[in-house]
Amino acid sequence: MIGSIISSGIISPAWDNLFAVILGIGFGFALESSGFSSSRKIIGTFFGYDFVVVKVFFTAAIFASIGLLYFSYLGLVDFSTLYIQPTFLASAIVGGIIMGVGFAMGGFCPGTSLCAAAVGRIDGLVFFGGMFIGVFMFSEAFPLFENMFYSGSQGAKMISTVLGISPEMFTFLLVLAAVGMFMGASWLEKKVKKVNY
Amino acid sequence: MERKYTILAILLIVLALGLVILPRTNEQKETNPKVLLSAIAEKSRYLTVDQVTHRIIENDPTLLLIDLRTADQYKTFALPGSLNITTDSLLSQANLELFSQPGKDKVLYANADLTSEKAWLLCTRFSLNRIYIMKGGMNEWYNTIVKEKSVTGTPSSADLDLLSFRKAARQFFIGSGETVNASVNPTINEKIQVIRKEPKAASGGGC
Repeated sequence: MIGSIISSGIISPAWDNLFAVILGIGFGFALESSGFSSSRKIIGTFFGYDFVVVKVFFTAAIFASIGLLYFSYLGLVDFSTLYIQPTFLASAIVGGIIMGVGFAMGGFCPGTSLCAAAVGRIDGLVFFGGMFIGVFMFSEAFPLFENMFYSGSQGAKMISTVLGISPEMFTFLLVLAAVGMFMGASWLEKKVKKVNY
Repeated sequence: MERKYTILAILLIVLALGLVILPRTNEQKETNPKVLLSAIAEKSRYLTVDQVTHRIIENDPTLLLIDLRTADQYKTFALPGSLNITTDSLLSQANLELFSQPGKDKVLYANADLTSEKAWLLCTRFSLNRIYIMKGGMNEWYNTIVKEKSVTGTPSSADLDLLSFRKAARQFFIGSGETVNASVNPTINEKIQVIRKEPKAASGGGC
Protein backbone atom coordinates (compact mmCIF):
# COMPACT_ATOMS: atom_id res chain seq x y z
CA MET A 1 0.00 0.00 0.00
CA ILE A 2 2.75 2.43 0.94
CA GLY A 3 4.74 1.23 -2.03
CA SER A 4 1.89 2.02 -4.36
CA ILE A 5 1.47 5.55 -3.06
CA ILE A 6 5.22 6.12 -3.19
CA SER A 7 5.61 4.68 -6.69
CA SER A 8 2.77 6.94 -7.82
CA GLY A 9 4.96 9.88 -6.84
CA ILE A 10 2.50 11.11 -4.18
CA ILE A 11 4.98 10.55 -1.33
CA SER A 12 8.76 10.34 -1.44
CA PRO A 13 10.29 6.89 -0.71
CA ALA A 14 12.36 8.59 2.02
CA TRP A 15 9.23 8.55 4.19
CA ASP A 16 8.62 4.79 4.09
CA ASN A 17 10.35 3.98 7.41
CA LEU A 18 8.42 6.72 9.17
CA PHE A 19 5.16 5.38 7.74
CA ALA A 20 6.10 1.87 8.88
CA VAL A 21 6.58 3.14 12.44
CA ILE A 22 3.32 5.14 12.41
CA LEU A 23 1.34 2.22 10.99
CA GLY A 24 2.96 -0.15 13.51
CA ILE A 25 1.99 2.09 16.41
CA GLY A 26 -1.54 2.35 15.01
CA PHE A 27 -1.80 -1.42 14.62
CA GLY A 28 -0.55 -1.99 18.18
CA PHE A 29 -2.97 0.61 19.53
CA ALA A 30 -5.89 -1.02 17.69
CA LEU A 31 -4.91 -4.45 19.08
CA GLU A 32 -4.59 -3.20 22.65
CA SER A 33 -7.78 -1.13 22.57
CA SER A 34 -9.66 -4.18 21.21
CA GLY A 35 -8.48 -6.17 24.23
CA PHE A 36 -6.11 -8.39 22.26
CA SER A 37 -3.45 -8.25 24.94
CA SER A 38 -5.59 -10.68 26.97
CA SER A 39 -5.03 -14.31 26.11
CA ARG A 40 -8.40 -15.19 27.68
CA LYS A 41 -10.20 -12.90 25.28
CA ILE A 42 -8.38 -14.41 22.31
CA ILE A 43 -8.88 -18.00 23.46
CA GLY A 44 -12.61 -17.19 23.73
CA THR A 45 -12.83 -17.78 19.97
CA PHE A 46 -12.02 -21.46 20.48
CA PHE A 47 -14.47 -21.88 23.38
CA GLY A 48 -17.23 -19.79 21.83
CA TYR A 49 -17.65 -17.15 24.53
CA ASP A 50 -15.90 -14.26 22.73
CA PHE A 51 -15.54 -13.79 18.97
CA VAL A 52 -13.95 -10.36 19.04
CA VAL A 53 -10.76 -11.63 17.32
CA VAL A 54 -12.64 -12.98 14.32
CA LYS A 55 -14.84 -9.90 14.18
CA VAL A 56 -11.94 -7.43 14.30
CA PHE A 57 -9.75 -9.19 11.74
CA PHE A 58 -12.63 -9.99 9.38
CA THR A 59 -13.79 -6.35 9.58
CA ALA A 60 -10.24 -5.15 8.87
CA ALA A 61 -9.96 -7.48 5.85
CA ILE A 62 -13.26 -6.48 4.23
CA PHE A 63 -12.74 -2.80 5.03
CA ALA A 64 -9.27 -2.90 3.41
CA SER A 65 -10.62 -4.83 0.38
CA ILE A 66 -13.42 -2.32 -0.21
CA GLY A 67 -11.04 0.60 0.30
CA LEU A 68 -8.44 -0.77 -2.11
CA LEU A 69 -11.04 -1.44 -4.80
CA TYR A 70 -12.49 2.07 -4.50
CA PHE A 71 -8.98 3.58 -4.53
CA SER A 72 -8.22 1.54 -7.63
CA TYR A 73 -11.46 2.67 -9.28
CA LEU A 74 -10.57 6.29 -8.59
CA GLY A 75 -7.05 5.75 -9.92
CA LEU A 76 -5.34 6.41 -6.59
CA VAL A 77 -3.76 2.96 -6.23
CA ASP A 78 -2.04 0.92 -8.92
CA PHE A 79 -2.61 -2.71 -8.02
CA SER A 80 0.08 -3.99 -10.31
CA THR A 81 2.67 -2.41 -8.02
CA LEU A 82 1.36 -4.24 -4.95
CA TYR A 83 3.37 -7.21 -3.79
CA ILE A 84 1.27 -10.35 -3.55
CA GLN A 85 2.71 -13.17 -1.51
CA PRO A 86 3.16 -16.24 -3.75
CA THR A 87 1.13 -19.29 -2.72
CA PHE A 88 3.08 -22.29 -1.46
CA LEU A 89 0.27 -24.74 -0.79
CA ALA A 90 2.00 -27.39 1.34
CA SER A 91 3.84 -24.97 3.61
CA ALA A 92 0.71 -22.80 3.95
CA ILE A 93 -1.32 -25.81 5.17
CA VAL A 94 1.37 -27.08 7.54
CA GLY A 95 2.16 -23.56 8.79
CA GLY A 96 -1.54 -22.84 9.28
CA ILE A 97 -2.00 -25.97 11.41
CA ILE A 98 1.07 -25.15 13.53
CA MET A 99 -0.05 -21.56 13.98
CA GLY A 100 -3.59 -22.64 14.89
CA VAL A 101 -2.35 -25.12 17.49
CA GLY A 102 0.04 -22.50 18.92
CA PHE A 103 -2.76 -19.94 18.95
CA ALA A 104 -5.10 -22.27 20.86
CA MET A 105 -2.39 -23.39 23.31
CA GLY A 106 -0.81 -20.01 24.02
CA GLY A 107 -3.74 -17.68 23.53
CA PHE A 108 -1.71 -15.34 21.33
CA CYS A 109 -0.55 -14.89 17.79
CA PRO A 110 2.81 -13.15 17.12
CA GLY A 111 1.36 -9.62 16.96
CA THR A 112 -0.89 -9.92 20.00
CA SER A 113 1.93 -11.52 22.06
CA LEU A 114 4.06 -8.42 21.39
CA CYS A 115 1.11 -6.28 22.41
CA ALA A 116 0.70 -8.24 25.66
CA ALA A 117 4.46 -8.12 26.34
CA ALA A 118 4.41 -4.35 25.80
CA VAL A 119 1.80 -3.88 28.54
CA GLY A 120 3.82 -6.14 30.87
CA ARG A 121 1.82 -9.37 30.81
CA ILE A 122 3.98 -12.33 31.85
CA ASP A 123 2.17 -14.83 29.59
CA GLY A 124 2.78 -12.48 26.67
CA LEU A 125 6.50 -12.25 27.50
CA VAL A 126 6.77 -16.05 27.78
CA PHE A 127 4.95 -16.53 24.45
CA PHE A 128 7.18 -13.90 22.84
CA GLY A 129 10.33 -15.66 24.12
CA GLY A 130 9.02 -19.04 22.96
CA MET A 131 8.32 -17.62 19.54
CA PHE A 132 11.95 -16.57 19.14
CA ILE A 133 13.19 -19.98 20.29
CA GLY A 134 10.88 -21.51 17.66
CA VAL A 135 12.15 -19.14 14.98
CA PHE A 136 15.75 -20.00 15.89
CA MET A 137 15.08 -23.75 15.82
CA PHE A 138 13.26 -23.48 12.50
CA SER A 139 16.12 -21.45 11.00
CA GLU A 140 18.73 -23.95 12.16
CA ALA A 141 16.72 -26.92 10.91
CA PHE A 142 15.61 -25.21 7.70
CA PRO A 143 17.52 -27.56 5.34
CA LEU A 144 15.35 -30.40 6.68
CA PHE A 145 12.16 -28.54 5.79
CA GLU A 146 13.35 -26.79 2.65
CA ASN A 147 11.70 -29.12 0.11
CA MET A 148 8.37 -28.99 1.90
CA PHE A 149 8.71 -25.22 2.40
CA TYR A 150 8.94 -24.53 -1.33
CA SER A 151 6.60 -27.27 -2.54
CA GLY A 152 3.18 -26.59 -4.06
CA SER A 153 4.29 -23.29 -5.57
CA GLN A 154 1.36 -21.66 -7.37
CA GLY A 155 2.69 -18.14 -7.91
CA ALA A 156 0.73 -15.05 -6.92
CA LYS A 157 -2.75 -16.53 -7.01
CA MET A 158 -6.00 -14.70 -6.29
CA ILE A 159 -9.15 -16.50 -5.13
CA SER A 160 -11.32 -14.39 -7.45
CA THR A 161 -9.23 -15.58 -10.42
CA VAL A 162 -9.53 -19.22 -9.37
CA LEU A 163 -13.31 -18.83 -9.00
CA GLY A 164 -13.54 -16.95 -12.32
CA ILE A 165 -15.36 -13.95 -10.87
CA SER A 166 -14.43 -10.29 -10.70
CA PRO A 167 -12.61 -9.05 -7.58
CA GLU A 168 -15.55 -6.70 -6.94
CA MET A 169 -18.03 -9.59 -6.91
CA PHE A 170 -15.69 -11.62 -4.69
CA THR A 171 -15.46 -8.73 -2.21
CA PHE A 172 -19.25 -8.37 -2.20
CA LEU A 173 -19.65 -12.09 -1.44
CA LEU A 174 -16.96 -11.81 1.23
CA VAL A 175 -18.83 -8.94 2.89
CA LEU A 176 -22.05 -10.99 2.89
CA ALA A 177 -20.15 -13.93 4.42
CA ALA A 178 -18.61 -11.64 7.04
CA VAL A 179 -21.97 -10.14 8.03
CA GLY A 180 -23.46 -13.64 8.24
CA MET A 181 -20.55 -14.72 10.42
CA PHE A 182 -20.97 -11.66 12.70
CA MET A 183 -24.65 -12.51 13.21
CA GLY A 184 -23.87 -16.18 13.82
CA ALA A 185 -21.11 -15.30 16.30
CA SER A 186 -23.40 -12.93 18.23
CA TRP A 187 -26.07 -15.65 18.42
CA LEU A 188 -23.50 -18.20 19.62
CA GLU A 189 -22.10 -15.83 22.27
CA LYS A 190 -25.57 -15.54 23.78
CA LYS A 191 -25.94 -19.34 23.90
CA VAL A 192 -22.53 -20.05 25.48
CA LYS A 193 -22.02 -19.46 29.20
CA LYS A 194 -20.35 -16.12 29.86
CA VAL A 195 -16.78 -16.12 31.15
CA ASN A 196 -15.63 -13.23 33.29
CA TYR A 197 -11.99 -12.17 32.93
CA MET B 1 -26.63 -7.64 16.91
CA GLU B 2 -26.73 -4.19 18.41
CA ARG B 3 -28.33 -1.41 16.36
CA LYS B 4 -25.03 0.41 15.69
CA TYR B 5 -23.42 -2.78 14.37
CA THR B 6 -26.47 -3.47 12.20
CA ILE B 7 -26.10 0.00 10.63
CA LEU B 8 -22.37 -0.58 10.04
CA ALA B 9 -23.06 -3.99 8.46
CA ILE B 10 -25.65 -2.44 6.10
CA LEU B 11 -23.16 0.32 5.22
CA LEU B 12 -20.47 -2.25 4.32
CA ILE B 13 -22.93 -4.22 2.17
CA VAL B 14 -24.01 -1.06 0.34
CA LEU B 15 -20.37 -0.06 -0.27
CA ALA B 16 -19.52 -3.54 -1.57
CA LEU B 17 -22.62 -3.56 -3.78
CA GLY B 18 -21.52 -0.18 -5.13
CA LEU B 19 -18.30 -1.79 -6.35
CA VAL B 20 -20.27 -4.44 -8.26
CA ILE B 21 -22.65 -2.03 -9.99
CA LEU B 22 -20.21 0.81 -10.77
CA PRO B 23 -19.59 1.10 -14.53
CA ARG B 24 -16.25 -0.31 -15.65
CA THR B 25 -13.81 2.20 -17.04
CA ASN B 26 -11.20 1.57 -19.69
CA GLU B 27 -8.25 0.94 -17.44
CA GLN B 28 -5.62 0.73 -20.15
CA LYS B 29 -4.03 4.18 -20.21
CA GLU B 30 -1.05 5.47 -22.08
CA THR B 31 1.83 6.52 -19.88
CA ASN B 32 2.43 10.23 -19.52
CA PRO B 33 5.34 11.25 -21.84
CA LYS B 34 7.27 12.81 -18.94
CA VAL B 35 6.95 9.65 -16.89
CA LEU B 36 7.97 7.58 -19.92
CA LEU B 37 11.09 9.71 -20.51
CA SER B 38 11.98 9.41 -16.86
CA ALA B 39 11.54 5.62 -17.03
CA ILE B 40 13.77 5.45 -20.13
CA ALA B 41 16.54 7.33 -18.31
CA GLU B 42 16.18 5.02 -15.31
CA LYS B 43 18.38 1.89 -15.56
CA SER B 44 16.52 -0.20 -13.00
CA ARG B 45 14.77 -2.10 -15.81
CA TYR B 46 17.92 -4.12 -16.44
CA LEU B 47 18.60 -7.43 -14.77
CA THR B 48 21.94 -9.12 -15.24
CA VAL B 49 22.17 -12.63 -16.64
CA ASP B 50 23.45 -13.76 -13.23
CA GLN B 51 20.36 -12.36 -11.48
CA VAL B 52 18.01 -14.03 -13.97
CA THR B 53 19.91 -17.32 -13.82
CA HIS B 54 19.78 -17.30 -10.04
CA ARG B 55 16.00 -16.82 -10.11
CA ILE B 56 15.56 -19.61 -12.68
CA ILE B 57 17.57 -22.03 -10.52
CA GLU B 58 15.64 -20.97 -7.41
CA ASN B 59 12.41 -21.65 -9.33
CA ASP B 60 11.23 -18.17 -8.40
CA PRO B 61 7.42 -18.17 -8.79
CA THR B 62 7.38 -14.41 -9.43
CA LEU B 63 9.58 -14.74 -12.53
CA LEU B 64 7.97 -14.76 -15.97
CA LEU B 65 10.48 -15.00 -18.81
CA ILE B 66 9.41 -13.71 -22.22
CA ASP B 67 11.50 -14.83 -25.20
CA LEU B 68 11.11 -12.27 -27.99
CA ARG B 69 13.05 -14.19 -30.65
CA THR B 70 11.57 -16.09 -33.59
CA ALA B 71 9.81 -19.40 -32.98
CA ASP B 72 12.64 -21.32 -34.68
CA GLN B 73 15.30 -19.74 -32.48
CA TYR B 74 13.14 -20.39 -29.43
CA LYS B 75 12.76 -24.08 -30.29
CA THR B 76 16.50 -24.41 -30.81
CA PHE B 77 17.62 -22.79 -27.57
CA ALA B 78 15.67 -21.00 -24.86
CA LEU B 79 15.72 -20.43 -21.14
CA PRO B 80 13.65 -22.94 -19.12
CA GLY B 81 10.10 -21.85 -18.41
CA SER B 82 10.19 -19.00 -20.92
CA LEU B 83 7.27 -18.13 -23.18
CA ASN B 84 7.79 -17.22 -26.81
CA ILE B 85 6.10 -13.95 -27.78
CA THR B 86 7.32 -12.07 -30.83
CA THR B 87 7.17 -8.27 -30.89
CA ASP B 88 4.49 -8.14 -33.61
CA SER B 89 2.05 -9.97 -31.34
CA LEU B 90 3.25 -8.30 -28.15
CA LEU B 91 0.17 -6.16 -27.57
CA SER B 92 -2.52 -8.67 -28.49
CA GLN B 93 -5.33 -8.96 -25.94
CA ALA B 94 -4.10 -12.34 -24.65
CA ASN B 95 -0.55 -11.08 -24.25
CA LEU B 96 -1.67 -7.86 -22.56
CA GLU B 97 -3.48 -9.97 -19.98
CA LEU B 98 -0.32 -12.03 -19.58
CA PHE B 99 1.74 -8.89 -19.02
CA SER B 100 -0.86 -7.60 -16.54
CA GLN B 101 -0.44 -10.64 -14.31
CA PRO B 102 -0.24 -9.65 -10.67
CA GLY B 103 2.84 -10.41 -8.64
CA LYS B 104 5.00 -11.37 -11.63
CA ASP B 105 8.24 -9.83 -12.84
CA LYS B 106 8.09 -10.00 -16.61
CA VAL B 107 11.66 -10.37 -17.91
CA LEU B 108 12.16 -9.78 -21.63
CA TYR B 109 15.04 -11.17 -23.60
CA ALA B 110 16.10 -11.61 -27.21
CA ASN B 111 19.49 -12.30 -28.80
CA ALA B 112 20.76 -8.84 -27.85
CA ASP B 113 19.16 -5.75 -26.29
CA LEU B 114 17.56 -3.91 -29.23
CA THR B 115 14.40 -6.03 -29.54
CA SER B 116 13.96 -6.17 -25.77
CA GLU B 117 14.28 -2.38 -25.53
CA LYS B 118 11.59 -1.92 -28.19
CA ALA B 119 9.27 -4.36 -26.43
CA TRP B 120 9.96 -2.76 -23.04
CA LEU B 121 9.11 0.66 -24.47
CA LEU B 122 5.83 -0.59 -25.94
CA CYS B 123 4.85 -2.27 -22.66
CA THR B 124 5.80 0.77 -20.59
CA ARG B 125 3.78 3.07 -22.88
CA PHE B 126 0.83 0.78 -22.21
CA SER B 127 1.26 1.41 -18.47
CA LEU B 128 2.33 -2.19 -17.86
CA ASN B 129 4.45 -2.55 -14.75
CA ARG B 130 7.21 -4.82 -13.51
CA ILE B 131 8.70 -5.22 -17.00
CA TYR B 132 12.44 -5.91 -17.03
CA ILE B 133 15.13 -6.65 -19.59
CA MET B 134 17.81 -9.29 -19.28
CA LYS B 135 20.81 -7.14 -20.15
CA GLY B 136 22.71 -8.48 -23.14
CA GLY B 137 20.08 -11.09 -24.01
CA MET B 138 20.85 -14.67 -24.94
CA ASN B 139 24.27 -13.76 -26.35
CA GLU B 140 25.36 -12.43 -22.98
CA TRP B 141 23.72 -15.34 -21.17
CA TYR B 142 25.62 -17.85 -23.34
CA ASN B 143 28.93 -16.00 -22.96
CA THR B 144 28.53 -15.65 -19.19
CA ILE B 145 26.85 -18.84 -18.06
CA VAL B 146 27.56 -21.50 -20.68
CA LYS B 147 31.04 -20.49 -21.82
CA GLU B 148 33.66 -20.88 -19.16
CA LYS B 149 35.69 -17.73 -18.64
CA SER B 150 39.28 -17.86 -17.52
CA VAL B 151 40.36 -15.72 -14.61
CA THR B 152 43.20 -13.29 -14.98
CA GLY B 153 45.12 -11.87 -12.06
CA THR B 154 44.12 -12.44 -8.46
CA PRO B 155 40.34 -12.60 -8.15
CA SER B 156 38.56 -11.21 -5.11
CA SER B 157 36.37 -13.44 -2.94
CA ALA B 158 33.28 -11.88 -4.57
CA ASP B 159 34.67 -12.80 -8.00
CA LEU B 160 35.34 -16.33 -6.81
CA ASP B 161 31.81 -16.63 -5.47
CA LEU B 162 30.44 -15.42 -8.80
CA LEU B 163 32.61 -17.87 -10.75
CA SER B 164 31.54 -20.65 -8.43
CA PHE B 165 27.88 -19.74 -8.98
CA ARG B 166 28.34 -19.67 -12.74
CA LYS B 167 30.03 -23.07 -12.66
CA ALA B 168 27.14 -24.51 -10.66
CA ALA B 169 24.67 -22.82 -13.03
CA ARG B 170 26.49 -24.32 -16.00
CA GLN B 171 26.10 -27.77 -14.49
CA PHE B 172 22.44 -27.02 -13.75
CA PHE B 173 21.67 -26.07 -17.33
CA ILE B 174 23.86 -28.38 -19.40
CA GLY B 175 24.64 -31.13 -16.91
CA SER B 176 28.41 -31.14 -17.41
CA GLY B 177 31.31 -28.94 -18.35
CA GLU B 178 30.55 -29.39 -22.07
CA THR B 179 29.99 -26.04 -23.72
CA VAL B 180 29.87 -27.07 -27.37
CA ASN B 181 26.43 -27.66 -28.91
CA ALA B 182 24.89 -27.45 -25.49
CA SER B 183 21.14 -27.07 -25.60
CA VAL B 184 18.59 -26.16 -23.04
CA ASN B 185 15.13 -27.55 -23.51
CA PRO B 186 12.56 -24.80 -23.56
CA THR B 187 8.99 -25.36 -22.50
CA ILE B 188 7.48 -25.60 -25.93
CA ASN B 189 3.78 -25.05 -26.56
CA GLU B 190 3.15 -24.82 -22.88
CA LYS B 191 -0.39 -23.65 -22.16
CA ILE B 192 -0.22 -20.10 -20.92
CA GLN B 193 -1.91 -19.74 -17.56
CA VAL B 194 -3.33 -16.26 -17.80
CA ILE B 195 -4.40 -14.61 -14.59
CA ARG B 196 -6.88 -12.07 -15.79
CA LYS B 197 -6.82 -8.39 -15.09
CA GLU B 198 -5.10 -6.51 -12.36
CA PRO B 199 -4.45 -7.87 -8.89
CA LYS B 200 -6.89 -6.98 -6.20
CA ALA B 201 -4.98 -7.65 -3.07
CA ALA B 202 -6.66 -8.43 0.18
CA SER B 203 -5.01 -7.02 3.21
CA GLY B 204 -1.44 -8.23 3.58
CA GLY B 205 0.45 -9.16 6.71
CA GLY B 206 -1.36 -10.68 9.64
CA CYS B 207 -1.75 -10.46 13.33
